[in-house]
Amino acid sequence: MRIDIEGLTIRFRGGVEAVRDVGLSVGSGELVAVVGPSGCGKSTMLNAIAGLLPAAEVDIGGTVALDGADIRRADRRALALGYVFQRDALLPWATIAANVELGLRIRGVPAPERARRVAELIGIAGLAGFERYYPHQVSGGMRQRTSLIRTLAYEPRAILMDEPFGALDAQNRMILQSELLRMWERTRTTILFVTHDLAEAITLGQRVVAFSKRPGRVTGVFDVPIPGPRDVFEIRGTSEFTRLEREIWSHLREDFRA
Amino acid sequence: MIARVARRLALIAAVLVAWEAATGGFGGGLRAVDPILVARPSSAVAEIGRYAATGLLTRDLVTTLQAAFAGLALGMVLGVGTGLVLGYLRPIADTVEPLLVALNSLPRIALAPILIIAFGLGITSKIFLAFITVFFVIFFNTYQGVQSVDPDLVRVVTVMGGTRAHLARYVILPSVFSWIFAALRTSVSFALSGAVVGEFVGSTAGLGYRMTIAAGLLDTERVYAILLILMVVAVTLVEVARRVEGRVLRWRPAGVVGA
Repeated sequence: MRIDIEGLTIRFRGGVEAVRDVGLSVGSGELVAVVGPSGCGKSTMLNAIAGLLPAAEVDIGGTVALDGADIRRADRRALALGYVFQRDALLPWATIAANVELGLRIRGVPAPERARRVAELIGIAGLAGFERYYPHQVSGGMRQRTSLIRTLAYEPRAILMDEPFGALDAQNRMILQSELLRMWERTRTTILFVTHDLAEAITLGQRVVAFSKRPGRVTGVFDVPIPGPRDVFEIRGTSEFTRLEREIWSHLREDFRA
Repeated sequence: MIARVARRLALIAAVLVAWEAATGGFGGGLRAVDPILVARPSSAVAEIGRYAATGLLTRDLVTTLQAAFAGLALGMVLGVGTGLVLGYLRPIADTVEPLLVALNSLPRIALAPILIIAFGLGITSKIFLAFITVFFVIFFNTYQGVQSVDPDLVRVVTVMGGTRAHLARYVILPSVFSWIFAALRTSVSFALSGAVVGEFVGSTAGLGYRMTIAAGLLDTERVYAILLILMVVAVTLVEVARRVEGRVLRWRPAGVVGA
């Protein structure tokens, strides 16, 4: 699924302008990373795409189209978007397996098919043996992994990710980045990934979109010509990575100060 | 572990021995309190046997438990219902809140006399008193449960294309249930107090009734016997409630209460 954002301006009724005149496209099967300082309206933009902003609290100008269809007229169920939050947002009263199954149940997938897909994803994510554990009984990395495969399970046509690895330690973060890339290379799902970590944006994105501080505006779009499959652990040492990091940082620097 | 149990049992034994001695037990050498005022533990236990032999114990126990459980069930149903309705209809909640806060601040057992006037000496007034004592606990917990539903979980289900029914089933009801079950222990012992106090004030049967009769006759042994029975019943009920809670809320991290 393509995501096309044009002239998007979001203003909260309280007066805060979250993003201003944002234009941005994510091609079908593309992984685009948005990088910008904390509080620059990146998350608000994702919420607007997902249709999660309460109409009574915000004024939204511009358009967001998914495969050419304006989201204001789209049926959310048919859209099949995925959203991975910074917090794992797992149901605390459901086991790991039941959490992964949630989207499949909601979408009415028959039980044998659900069981098959849950088992497969749990295997891929290295969570085998933990199916019947509750979220509070497993580590933060495992919870975020569960959150990731819960989203992949119902095969959304596009996934929005809001700093999903932000709460993890450096090692777990890289492991999960690597798993995300592996899964993306297999499925080629459209992904819009938001982060405030430039290295993460370059590691994951085919393109990196730089956001200014609030109100968020697009200050630059950079191609990341590093071919896949990428090795998360090696990529940081390459000259291409260092060059990009320097180039994009020079764009971002002013906005990260403040 | 074993040392801990031993210490606890030793304390209980010591209290009982001291009590027995102070009330004229073990030959009466240490008697400090008249057994008419404070019954001797051994005679209270013996009295339970006599009380049971008359057949009254079973009847009274059943009467009191019936009132307590009927009140608890009523309080659960109406408390959960009201909590859900007010949790979702904020304008109504906003209007009703001062009234509920005022009613809640009223000591519920002070309502016993008027409930007896309204519903008579039978079981209905006791059910009502038990109901009114548990209703607010259940109601406030349900209301709190609705308020504290994690908005991120609601968003997760919404993005997946979930309907209102899905939201209720996967997010809201489990969240609210955790609050209700956290209130179960308190509610059980409240319901029992409500029933017994109702019987004190005016009744024709039940443990509370038998106790006021005995107290009027200065039959301290019978009073203490009934106190012992109430204690055993309360401890048992609370323990059952604790196990139910632990079973239903086993997904909760240990040590987190009301979350």
